[in-house]
Amino acid sequence: MTDTLRTAPSAPAVRTKLVTPARRTALLCGSAVVVLVVLATFSLTHSDIPMSVSVALRALVGSGDGGSVLVVQEFLAPRVAAGIVAGAGLGVAGSLLQRLFRNPLASPDVMGITGGASFGAVSLLAAGASQLLIPLGALAGGLLAALLLGVFAWRSGLGVTRLVLVGLAVQAGLAAAVNFMVVRFPTELAGAALQWTTGSLYGRTWTEVWAAAGATVLVLAVACCLHRRLAVLDLGDESAGALGMNTSVVRLQLLVTAIVLASLAASVSGPVGFVALAVPHLVRFLAGPPTLGTLTLTGLTGAVLLLGSDLVVQHLLPVEGLPVGAATATLGAPFLLALMIRQGRPVDRSTA
Amino acid sequence: MESPVYTQLTELGVPNLICRLVSTNSSDAPTRGLRARGLRTGGLRPERLRRIPFFVVGGAALALCVALSLAMGARPVPLSTVVGALFGDASGADAVAVTGLRLPRTVIGLAVGAALGVAGAVAQGVTRNPLASPTTLGINAGAGFAVVVAIYALHLTQPVEYLWFAFAGAAGAALFAQALARKSDLDPVRLALGGTVLQLVLLSWTAALMLLSQRTLDEARFWLAGSMAGRPLDVVWPVLPTLVIGLVLAFAVSPALNALAIGDDSAQALGVPVARIRLAGGVAVILLAGSAVAVAGPVAFVGLAAPHIVRALLGSDHRVLLPGCLVVGPLLLLAADVLGRVVIRPSELEVGIVTAFLGAPLLALLARKAAR
Repeated sequence: MTDTLRTAPSAPAVRTKLVTPARRTALLCGSAVVVLVVLATFSLTHSDIPMSVSVALRALVGSGDGGSVLVVQEFLAPRVAAGIVAGAGLGVAGSLLQRLFRNPLASPDVMGITGGASFGAVSLLAAGASQLLIPLGALAGGLLAALLLGVFAWRSGLGVTRLVLVGLAVQAGLAAAVNFMVVRFPTELAGAALQWTTGSLYGRTWTEVWAAAGATVLVLAVACCLHRRLAVLDLGDESAGALGMNTSVVRLQLLVTAIVLASLAASVSGPVGFVALAVPHLVRFLAGPPTLGTLTLTGLTGAVLLLGSDLVVQHLLPVEGLPVGAATATLGAPFLLALMIRQGRPVDRSTA
Repeated sequence: MESPVYTQLTELGVPNLICRLVSTNSSDAPTRGLRARGLRTGGLRPERLRRIPFFVVGGAALALCVALSLAMGARPVPLSTVVGALFGDASGADAVAVTGLRLPRTVIGLAVGAALGVAGAVAQGVTRNPLASPTTLGINAGAGFAVVVAIYALHLTQPVEYLWFAFAGAAGAALFAQALARKSDLDPVRLALGGTVLQLVLLSWTAALMLLSQRTLDEARFWLAGSMAGRPLDVVWPVLPTLVIGLVLAFAVSPALNALAIGDDSAQALGVPVARIRLAGGVAVILLAGSAVAVAGPVAFVGLAAPHIVRALLGSDHRVLLPGCLVVGPLLLLAADVLGRVVIRPSELEVGIVTAFLGAPLLALLARKAAR
């Protein structure tokens, strides 16, 4: 009896409106997962050593002949996993930042966080540290950039515009430091440094990928927990304050989450540009206003985009050894142009 | 508790503040009536009183920097020898270092600094945006990309050969940035972000090209840091015409930039041809910033800092701002160059790296002020 009472009012609503935003998001998530699996399989099977899907998948779990197991497990799978982790992290970080700053152009690359990651990585390269330590350097560099950002931008709370502009300054200063080291290095090191400043998935090992993946999953969970507060903050500082929220503290929490995510991603892939900028727009265009579901979709889309770009770099382009960051920047440029021109229309300054 | 001195000061400060507001908002609108009223009621404004000392002190500081630039370096030369070398009656290694290496470098520094300073002032005036400058608009990145493409495709080896490619790249990026600025009129944040994103795209293409070819990396990375070292005076002659035309154009539009500062509609109502002034100012920025980057490579922040320093001291009348930048731009650039030669002696830091290090905190401070 109670069951029928409970279900009765909701049933017609479902029947009249089959494609609710939530269903649509779920559908998009599903298709993103499918595309991700297809792309991952493609990159496992179409390497320098082509193998069939069944052989590649069996090699992934460790059966089959030793050669293909070695190739798949040691060289191909880490690269794919790194792409997924970095793409998801960048996408979610970009989405958080754009909503926090209410500015569609805010992203970790513009604000100097990924620039800080390159600075950290290149500094460790300069110090001659082992290859394994360099991602840690990137992580530390990203956090250092965030710290500088906080120090310069904090003036009785975190204003939106100020943070973005100070981010530009931090970016410029750290880029100068990287530039200094690139000029001073011998040529081979300068090449490696450039690789780190453009963003590349080349040569990742399982140790790096597992560490970054674990940390990323943890921070993503934190982001999901904080999502409700972000939704309140979306109402505007005054409304959120009137609802009893300490906006500066909440913004700081969310900001730290986004920064850690972006730094973790940059520690795997280097500062890959435009994924964090483009993905949230794409998701908003496809799935509508932000919810927890679209946040998931953002992560998945980021992974798809980065993995896809990496495949483009490896297979579609005639030149060998291009960094994936160059491809994402090239894809991002026309997109960005369109965004700018659309933005050029007069906007309501109270929301900007 | 407010001290009597404080209240006195605020009492004095009120008309001062009003003066300041008048001078920044409608700074010398080209109507006789306003100016006449100003003369009748207030006499000289504080900014106007500061002009003569500013130019005297600025000129003296510039002369000091020129002297230091000639004397300092891996081999410090006493000033007497410098004077002797310049006027021809000294010889030896010191004299050769002064006339052969440091004199061209100093002359280049003067020219490039002046071009950058004035370009920054005009860019800020035309876009009505305190954050506009050759660096933040992506002009330097455009020049860098063009030069790297040229090195990659055409196998260039001499900085002299990069000249016109740098110029073309700068012009392309500047055109793009100005189209962007037109679209996003009046929003400093958006323009700065747009310029940064343009810069990011160009930088990543530059890096990709350099990764593809070791030779390009070797050739380009020193030029990309921005430096005035090791360039003969010959690199200045080709850009001299563009430099001079740019400066003349900039000074020609400077009175109209004041009218532009009060808004497009008001300027139009005062009879200023807004679109034509924008165009002329844009061309001046391209010519000046393009010449500067062609000679010295991408040097950051001089174009941003010089107008702000002058504006803080002399107010925002463009007819004074531009001559002020003509002094402060070279001053900043030469000071940075001398600093770069002194800090890690006997080696030296490229001037572009010094200005970027010093300029980043400045941009952060400006950002704090611009975004309340």
